[in-house]
Amino acid sequence: MTVIARRLAGHLARGIVMILVVATISFFIVRSIPGDPVAANVQKLIEQGMAPEAAEQATRVLYGFQPTGSLWQQYTDYMAGLLTFDLGQSVTHAGAPVTQVLGEAAKWTVLPVLAGTLLSFLVGIILGVYAAIKRTGKLGDILAISGSLLHGVPQYVLGLLLSAIFATLIPILPADGPVDILFEPGFNAGYIGSLVEHAVLPVVTYALAAYGGWILAMKSSVVTVLGDDFILAAELRGMKRSIIFRYIARNAILPLFTILALSLGLLLGGAVFIERIFNYPGLGLLLLDSITMRDYALMGGAFLLITAAIIVANIIADLFYSVIDPRVRSGEEVGA
Amino acid sequence: MTKSAPGVRIDGLTVVYKTPAGELPAVRDVRLTLEPGTITGIVGESGSGKSTLALSLLNAVQPPGRISAGSVEIDGLGDVVGLRNEQLRKARGKHIGYVFQAAQNSLNPLKTVGKQLLDLGRSHGVNDLPGLVREARELLGRMGLDGARVLDSHQHELSGGMRQRVGIMLALVLNAHLVVLDEPTTALDMITQANILKIVREVHAERGLTTLVITHDIGVVAEVADRLAVMYGGRLVEQGPTREVLGAPRHPYTKGLIKAIPRLVGDIDEAQALPGRPPTLATVPAEGCVFRERCPLRMDVCDTVDPEARVDAGAGGPRAVACHAVTVKEHA
Repeated sequence: MTVIARRLAGHLARGIVMILVVATISFFIVRSIPGDPVAANVQKLIEQGMAPEAAEQATRVLYGFQPTGSLWQQYTDYMAGLLTFDLGQSVTHAGAPVTQVLGEAAKWTVLPVLAGTLLSFLVGIILGVYAAIKRTGKLGDILAISGSLLHGVPQYVLGLLLSAIFATLIPILPADGPVDILFEPGFNAGYIGSLVEHAVLPVVTYALAAYGGWILAMKSSVVTVLGDDFILAAELRGMKRSIIFRYIARNAILPLFTILALSLGLLLGGAVFIERIFNYPGLGLLLLDSITMRDYALMGGAFLLITAAIIVANIIADLFYSVIDPRVRSGEEVGA
Repeated sequence: MTKSAPGVRIDGLTVVYKTPAGELPAVRDVRLTLEPGTITGIVGESGSGKSTLALSLLNAVQPPGRISAGSVEIDGLGDVVGLRNEQLRKARGKHIGYVFQAAQNSLNPLKTVGKQLLDLGRSHGVNDLPGLVREARELLGRMGLDGARVLDSHQHELSGGMRQRVGIMLALVLNAHLVVLDEPTTALDMITQANILKIVREVHAERGLTTLVITHDIGVVAEVADRLAVMYGGRLVEQGPTREVLGAPRHPYTKGLIKAIPRLVGDIDEAQALPGRPPTLATVPAEGCVFRERCPLRMDVCDTVDPEARVDAGAGGPRAVACHAVTVKEHA
């Protein structure tokens, strides 16, 4: 256990340093993008006939801050705020805190992405095992071909296709947002039912888009393990098929956990097409909007969130490895 | 448990591998008897078919290979070539123990040895699992290891010599009395090798086993085997009591092999490598003697007629040689 604790401490320290570095880089990159929303607002008010002084005053009231500090001062303010999880205010959301805006959007991204990825992971690895074991038969061919086909179709094409079929041609599922506005938000059957109903198409899209990758990766991993000596050894020792099957599955699934963790981290920012197609006000769309509106604070916050998600996913994957793979667990002891 | 060492009679065994050029024999028409309670060694170069022969004893030739003819009669089991599915699975491990080459990783890297031992016990319906663990610990202790610690270890925490002893333990723990060791000391250092061979000999005698050792190392066979069979190109070319075969080899291939061993004392040049290369699956001649391309005693008949093994009742047990030249010389 101490090995795991030491690993965790090391990962956290490295993760925090990495987040600070990314925050710094994104701060300066974001501010080097041409366009200034505050200046634009002042300009707009002046054009509407307001005196320059009054325009600046009104803008200050609107956004709640003065854009007068030097870049360096802004940077130190930003980093200091970061330590208290204060990412500043979003200019496009009438000065609402960035963390709050991100939190609102995150729930529409995290749940469908998580559900879709886990669904495709489960289905993909189970079918991947069959595709590997039956690789010389028809079933194996069909599974492998379905994997290759789906792997080759871009996410947004799948999304548009599903939306066209199940929401337009045969309108049995909604594709008009995350939930029906008729229902009172909260823990009531109507609201939750509506949430689930609306989530079906986006979740299935995520799942289908990722399924091909899982089935192909699992198939090749299983084929590799099948060729390992210890599988033949287990057979020659007369081990039961069910036990050998477990040996194969557990060894084959190991390398896939890294991919799973990475894809979960990445999907936070990469869901923009599906959010647009199914009208989910999620992180992908938020990031897109923040870029078009030059909402520096929001942009930086969204980048930071994606970075943190990937780093955390990696830490979880690594810790998970040290739990399930004894070679990783004792690796540091042997090396020390 | 009052099982005794089983005898094994291999007759007319032919194993073919499916290749783009058709089905080619890796083992052809092999006839070999393992007397109960003996250690038999099979030597041969890489690709001579010795591992395939070893796998045939468990009816475990891996695709694209298959046993196309012959039988492997094992006392108490019958012809294993005819065994299928559950019968075959239960025979493996419980009646026939198989020890893998030391260099191979024959253990699941994710589970401790002890957990794999329990998996093995459950696979064979062992009710007394604590008893099985005790037996395993005793066997490991017998081989000079700390049993409790080894059972608690993963494969990567064990050295090559330790793994090999674990392999032997797993082959014996279910009380199998026929044990096949495939290159048991390959990739081990000399001292570990000597240790393992000593263990093989002692365990063999103590438990009353019938043992088959497959190796490319004549030294290993000289060390442990009562009887020796020499394999070349999928054929058994000579067999007999180890001391007689090594002391007075008759087949030109056996002679060449022995000449090729460098002596500890004397000039290194005295060791003479056998000229030429052993045949591969694709280059084994379809008719005639498999060894003729490298044979100093080659005759016309060797090109067309496959020499039959001639059996003599020797002083230490039957001897067989499959060579036209030897036959001609003795009957001239």
